[in-house]
Amino acid sequence: MKTRLLALLMVSAFVLSACGGAPAPAQTPSAQPSKEEPIQPTRAQPQAGQPVEITFMMWGAPEEQQVWQAVVDDFTKANPDIKVNVEVSDWDSYWAKLNTLVAGGTPPDVFAMDAPLYLDWQSRGALLNLQPYIDSNPGFLDNFFPQTLEAYKLPEGYFGLPRDFQTIVLFYNKDMFDAAGMAYPTADWTYDDLRAAAKALTKDTNGDGKIDQFGFWTDVWDMELFWSEAIWAYGGEIISADHTKTLIGEPNARKAWEFIDSLFKDGSIPAPATSGEYGDDLFQSKSAAMTTIGHWAVPGYVSAGFKFGVAPMPKGPSGRATSVNSAGFVLSAKGQHPDQSWKFVQFALSEAGQKRLAELGFAIPVLKDVANSDAYLKQPGDLDQQVFLDALEYSHMKPVFRGYEEWAAAVGDGLAPVFDGEAELGPTLDNVVTQADEILANNQ
Amino acid sequence: MAFGLKPLGRERIWLWGLLTPTLIGLVFGTIGSLLATLLLSFFEWDLIRPPKLIGFDNYVALFTNESYFRSFKNTIIFAAMYVPGVLVISLLVAVLMNRKIRGVSIFRTVYFLPAVTSAVATALVWNMIYGKDTGILNIFLESIGLNPVCWLCRDNAMLSVVIVNVWGAIGEGMIIFLAGLTAIPREYYEAATVDGANRAQQFFRITIPLITPSIFFQALISAINAFQAYDYIYMLTRRGQGDSTVPVAVFSIYRNAFNFFKMGVASAQAIQLAVLVAIFMGLLLIFERRFVVYE
Repeated sequence: MKTRLLALLMVSAFVLSACGGAPAPAQTPSAQPSKEEPIQPTRAQPQAGQPVEITFMMWGAPEEQQVWQAVVDDFTKANPDIKVNVEVSDWDSYWAKLNTLVAGGTPPDVFAMDAPLYLDWQSRGALLNLQPYIDSNPGFLDNFFPQTLEAYKLPEGYFGLPRDFQTIVLFYNKDMFDAAGMAYPTADWTYDDLRAAAKALTKDTNGDGKIDQFGFWTDVWDMELFWSEAIWAYGGEIISADHTKTLIGEPNARKAWEFIDSLFKDGSIPAPATSGEYGDDLFQSKSAAMTTIGHWAVPGYVSAGFKFGVAPMPKGPSGRATSVNSAGFVLSAKGQHPDQSWKFVQFALSEAGQKRLAELGFAIPVLKDVANSDAYLKQPGDLDQQVFLDALEYSHMKPVFRGYEEWAAAVGDGLAPVFDGEAELGPTLDNVVTQADEILANNQ
Repeated sequence: MAFGLKPLGRERIWLWGLLTPTLIGLVFGTIGSLLATLLLSFFEWDLIRPPKLIGFDNYVALFTNESYFRSFKNTIIFAAMYVPGVLVISLLVAVLMNRKIRGVSIFRTVYFLPAVTSAVATALVWNMIYGKDTGILNIFLESIGLNPVCWLCRDNAMLSVVIVNVWGAIGEGMIIFLAGLTAIPREYYEAATVDGANRAQQFFRITIPLITPSIFFQALISAINAFQAYDYIYMLTRRGQGDSTVPVAVFSIYRNAFNFFKMGVASAQAIQLAVLVAIFMGLLLIFERRFVVYE
């Protein structure tokens, strides 16, 4: 009998602990973390000799975990008293996980941030102001490309720092251009040249009466890959400087939308509803001759085994434009070890850390010295890496504002039926702008 | 408890001892989160800052915000097509599978297969069937001289996803109906045959009345599934980054809660969905009193 009772106790204890969930957060509930609150770098001093553990969470491909592990190993060698746990998830799971951890009061110490979402997190008091640390390292930001810092800069200071950046350029499949006997895209191209080439390269290559090669493919849901560039090149704007008005329906921007719509009407780019039939990335699946995308796509294209090149974005009536966006580091406002977390960020943003990243081949380093060195410029293959760097000169920052994700969904969801050929551009755009402005008003 | 054995003496300790783990899970897990959802629906909460009481604003938004209302409407339209579809088709399949056919167990297995296959995987296969340019269905249509149809574009997507969801649910419905059908005594049919009733008459006068309990049960299950439907729909209609051609209630709840930092609205939507299910269940129970025959 006694043993049975014991077994029962053990079983219920086990079940209870399984239901119990995470232990209560250890820290005292601090007052609403206001923007003015000075940070206390000595929040939880570790006992001497005891290594401190910090968690670094990011989104990315499994290969990226290996590279980051290498960065971390280098870091631990120099700082044996700090242990860094790297957690890498895919994009969707990353945000779901991060939201849950933050809501549960156990956020990771250091985590990756997509610049457009930065203000949504910063304005909610989730991020630590890094300015005191930057101030104590004079000259720390001098080597950064200023365009990459812009997104994180606030009157109170930096609550995040860029880790790598992405400019959008035109990729073209050399095999397809050669087969058609056409000249490769050049820096002199206009959007009309792009349209004509896309039309010429859209064809039925195996003679079964169906188009199987598209001239162009890109994602038109989010602004980053194509439509923001087109709007800027046509002289339009995305959003007003005070983030209260959506400007994508203004006359110049409307011309850009009409241009995009004409590509779909030409049939040179498959409709959003059908493009999935040709793969997730039609350029990589060799179904499209051209695309506009950033450096992160290069490893995938290399592995697909075809010859491709890059050219600057085409020129529009108002000149050339592209988008620059960055992934960054942020520290949790509620982290227990801000000093150690900063040390890690500082290391990852040092030349040694950035060189490792450049070797990875997914992104472009934010440090000028590293980007202009062989570590970045002399990557395997004959791709002209300089095109991505030169793009900074005519780049616009991908807008950063509160309510970004909901706003982007209203625009992306709203316009998709137009490109599917189920709705008229004009009235749909008007309707989308109204909805988008409503979202901006709710996020002031 | 109206029936069964009553626990006595020591057994009572065992009863509660063994029930405790489940009860704790139920109280804190299910009922706790239910109450938390109800409470949150009156707040504005972004997961990070402290919740702010805003009264009924979230509920007002459910009907004034175009996208919330659209997802709610889509769920109702979906349910209105899905529930009758599942009932009629799985009943027909069950009747067919209830006859003495050679290899009936193979057929039954085939019909049940979708129920035990990963929805995500089968949805990908359906994508290949529905595809506008390369889909099997359109290749077939073109081969008989018809125009290709964009099955997953805005205008047809709802019908297309209902078909897939019904297809996925036939197996389970068939099992429920088969259980009901095999319980009907053969003599009823023999007597009816002697009296000269044809097959159709037998089906409507004997089979249907006698399996009303199964029909009722299956309607209940299908309705709950309809209001919670998500996986096939999302896999078939996802577009761009997180968008869907046919946003349903569950999809909208997830997106508001975890992408848009709007826990309050998401909670209100969840309560709205729960109320809708409750109303539907109430109607079904009234229907049960009137029409369902328990032997």
